[in-house]
Amino acid sequence: MSVNTRSAQLSMRDALYEEPGPKTRRRIRIGTGIAALLLAALLALVVYQFWATGQLDPQYWLFFTQPTTWGFLFSGFLGTLSVSLSAAAIALVLALLLMLGRISGIRPLAVVCRILTDFFRGVPSLLLIYFFFLVVPQYGIKLPAFWMLTAPVALAASGVLAEVLRAGVNAVPRGQMEAALSIGMRPFRARMLIVVPQAIRFVIPSLISQLVVVVKDTTLAYVVSYPDLLQNARVLITNYDALVSTYFVAAIIYILLNYAINQLAVLASKKTGSTRVDRMTQNPT
Amino acid sequence: MPGTDTAAPVIEMRHVNKTFGNLQVLKDINLSVQTGEVVVVIGPSGSGKSTLCRTINRLESIDSGEILISGEPLPEEGSELAAVRAELGMVFQSFNLFAHMDILKNVTIGPTEVLGMSREDAEREAMELLERVGVASQAKKVPAQLSGGQQQRVAIARSLAMHPRAMLFDEPTSALDPEMINEVLDVMVNLASQGMTMIVVTHEMNFARRVADRVVFMADGEILEEGAPEEFFEHPKTDRAREFLDSIRGH
Repeated sequence: MSVNTRSAQLSMRDALYEEPGPKTRRRIRIGTGIAALLLAALLALVVYQFWATGQLDPQYWLFFTQPTTWGFLFSGFLGTLSVSLSAAAIALVLALLLMLGRISGIRPLAVVCRILTDFFRGVPSLLLIYFFFLVVPQYGIKLPAFWMLTAPVALAASGVLAEVLRAGVNAVPRGQMEAALSIGMRPFRARMLIVVPQAIRFVIPSLISQLVVVVKDTTLAYVVSYPDLLQNARVLITNYDALVSTYFVAAIIYILLNYAINQLAVLASKKTGSTRVDRMTQNPT
Repeated sequence: MPGTDTAAPVIEMRHVNKTFGNLQVLKDINLSVQTGEVVVVIGPSGSGKSTLCRTINRLESIDSGEILISGEPLPEEGSELAAVRAELGMVFQSFNLFAHMDILKNVTIGPTEVLGMSREDAEREAMELLERVGVASQAKKVPAQLSGGQQQRVAIARSLAMHPRAMLFDEPTSALDPEMINEVLDVMVNLASQGMTMIVVTHEMNFARRVADRVVFMADGEILEEGAPEEFFEHPKTDRAREFLDSIRGH
């Protein structure tokens, strides 16, 4: 037990470096001091430049005291959120299908799924958006802006998520599959009931972290004129001629959102931590 | 189920060969196990005894030869193979309990998913089996919360829930701390005394002496000796077996 709690406390730094001695500790303190001074100087320079160029003038900031400004930004935020969540949900289902196809053991299916996975993983999201925005309508298919954004973002994410899920499947000990087969389960059933649920638990933190990438991809909304947070920020900029202040606020909102997502991933990894322990006890070799 | 010819051995291997790359791990294996027999397979590590055990329910395929289960050739795939596997219990060295399910579910999933038993019936029977192996009080825990000995006893209950006609034990006590070995062996002794047909790959010589009807000694992929336990332990015929017995008695 004491061993377990100790290893849980081991941070990345502890794992990579040995405990510093007195000389090193002194050097670290000096280094930290210098770095802090440099950072403070840089920050002061930025604020000074803002002030000198008039970016801190009230005209650029006063409109943030109006509720309508925040209402407008909030509706954009909801747009970002709905595209992100829809794309993430679709991507997860697609990724699961791609991964299952790839490990199915049916050769042609596995090859097709592998090609699709690599394709979606390799092509930039923007290119996929252009496809839905410029190519698809030429065949008479009129998609709403929401789908012209959500579909390509989901496809791009599905490739990466499929690989994350496959890593999870590979992390499930072989004995789990063998035990399932030995009580008479067919291979597909064994995979669905025994292997995949455990694989998903292993990779839940990585899957959530991947959401951050999806959120950032949604900022390509401007291409299809979908009103997401950044698109609405752009409208504010044209109305108030306040570029720096508006982007500053938008950036803060994105940072907060992605920080929240990352915290969710940390929480999930703590919760699924117990499954790691039982994998170790299951494989004493 | 076809092949219920009662005269035929439950498990029969005829001229079985298997190679991993250049290494021949099974050389012309012939072995037959009758109903109710307990056959213990011993030998130095790397002798192919685990592989032998795993070929019987085709967790390992074979290159040539024949494996017959109750007189019928072991199917190579599909639902026929799954049906035979369901009738052969298997207990692994590393327990392999389903890590994401509680103990009760570990025991009931076979009967409900494979045999189509109702959940209530499966749970009632599972509780009886868990009682029998002495871990009924742990039914609602997950495998990671149990000791190795408890996990292995659950694994035995999971196999028994399928009403197997024979059970394969692949080094069932090798991953256990010494104080937990006996609780697992006790369960196995009980099973043997109730007439279960068993093939046991093990290093537990006392168990072999006490329970085995026959001891099979393997080295380098071959069966070198086969006989009654007291005969084998007191008067080994081959040098290889004598060396092996000396080395484990050495202290």
